[in-house]
Formats: sequence, structure tokens, C-alpha cells
Amino acid sequence: MDLKMALDPKEEKAAEKAIEDELVRKLQAGNMEVFDQLVERFQKKIYALSFNLTRNQMDAQDVTQDVLLTLFRKIHTFQGKSAFSSWVYRITLNASYMKLRSRKKDQSVSIDELLPTFNKAGFQQEKVQDWSENTESLLFANETRGIIQKAVDQLPEKEKVVFLLRDVEGFSTEKVGEILELTIPAVKSRLHRARLFLRKKLSSFFEEYRSGEDK
Amino acid sequence: MICCKECLDLLYDYLDDQLAPEVHANLEEHFQDCPPCVAFLNTYKTTTNLCRENLSKIEMPTAVQSKLLEFLKREQSKD
Repeated sequence: MDLKMALDPKEEKAAEKAIEDELVRKLQAGNMEVFDQLVERFQKKIYALSFNLTRNQMDAQDVTQDVLLTLFRKIHTFQGKSAFSSWVYRITLNASYMKLRSRKKDQSVSIDELLPTFNKAGFQQEKVQDWSENTESLLFANETRGIIQKAVDQLPEKEKVVFLLRDVEGFSTEKVGEILELTIPAVKSRLHRARLFLRKKLSSFFEEYRSGEDK
Repeated sequence: MICCKECLDLLYDYLDDQLAPEVHANLEEHFQDCPPCVAFLNTYKTTTNLCRENLSKIEMPTAVQSKLLEFLKREQSKD
């Protein structure tokens, strides 16, 4: 029988944390073989969080690399005052912010990167799909995603990080408080403000879309 | 009877089921008489769901995973 099937979410979390603590204890004791297991556990989560903050694949890749290297080299500095995962996410956020700061000087997006590319004979190099039959649904889905990403990017940093951790990554309010070293009321207040801001942005978009549909 | 501002201030805890039973009942009562607040509640919930659906599907590209593994192996061998 699958052990996970038999556990309720709380028990599953406790079991996961026990495994994590054991891996950390072994790594701190010099057993480097367990490092791969920690990488396996965290790399995708680190990458996703970093990507949502930086909105850049190269930056997310660099951040993931830096964070995992920090875990490997600085594991002895982890004192266990908070959960190991909270420590990992704090390092991820700091590394992502550093990337964002280094990029701030040059906020302009290179349009050239988005233009079609051609081979020497002048043919388009990318495969061009005919989506003209599905414009409505395709446009709607892509537009929605674009609007959401733009709106999230416009959120102030303090609200954005709470929103990403709580609503996108799905951490509990308590866990977000632990990662960001914030009180529960502060987490709730920032998240509520973020949700209100995003709701307003989406409302403008959907109302416009609906009025266009009615015409 | 609570007003719309109070209603919206309580939305977060309402959705998290964290309100005291009396406050919860007051809010439900307000919703029965206030279609705009019901609309706000629905769009507030939808916003969260839409954002989660669109942003939580970030996949780490396989090529990135391979590069990362190679990099970590190289770094580990230095120590």
C-alpha cells in the first residue's frame, strides 16, 4: 500500500519534515551523498519561485544554481531556528532580489528578441502554426495569462512575495510568516492588498472583454 | 448589520474560515442583501484561482535540470 495514501495532509507534512530534517542532519555530519536528495526535493520549487519573481529563465536558472550551491557549502550555518525549507526559500528570495536589482538599471526589453528570425534564404526559421480557427479561445487564454503576469509584476515587492508564496506556491499563512519573518496579521494584510489589486486589474480586463463580446 | 467596507475587510478570514461564528453569520446576512458584495466575493475568489492556475504551472526545463546537475557535480568534485 502507498504510505502517502494512508496519511492525512498534516501527517504527511510531518513525515516530509522528518525526512528533510534527517537529510539535513546527515549533510551537516559530512555525508555528502544525501545532497542529491535535497536537490531533487527543492530544485523545481526554487526554480518556480524564482521564475515568478524574475520572469526570466536565465535568472531563474542562475538563482537555482546559486541557492543549491549555497546549501551545499553553507549547510553548517543552518541552525534549525526555523524549518529547513523556510531557510531555503529565504535564500531563494534574496538571490532573486539580487538578480532583480542588477537588472533594474536596464529595464528596457529588447524587441529584437521577439521579432521573427530568418535563415539565409529569407524563410522564417520558427515553425508557424495556423491558429486562425481558434482565435477566440486561444487569444483569450493567452491574453488572460499576459494580463495576470503584468499585474503581478506591477505589485509592490512586499505584497508580491507574499502573494507568490501563499496563493501561487500554496504555503500556509504560518509558513509564509516563518519564511518572511512576518507576523500572521502582516501576512494577511499584505496578501489581502495584493488580491484586491489583482482583482481590480483583472476586473478591468474582463469587463472590457465582456463589453466587447456583447457588441 | 455590517457595512460593505467591513464586509470586504473580512473577506480574507471569511474565505479561510477563520471568523467567529457570530461575525460569520453577520457576513452571510450582508451577502443576502447585497448583490455587489456577492459579486465582489466571487471575483475576489476567481482572481486567486486564475492567478494560481496561470502561475503555478512553471516547469523547470529538462535542459536546465541537466545543466544544473552537471554544474553541481563539478562543484562537488572541487571540494
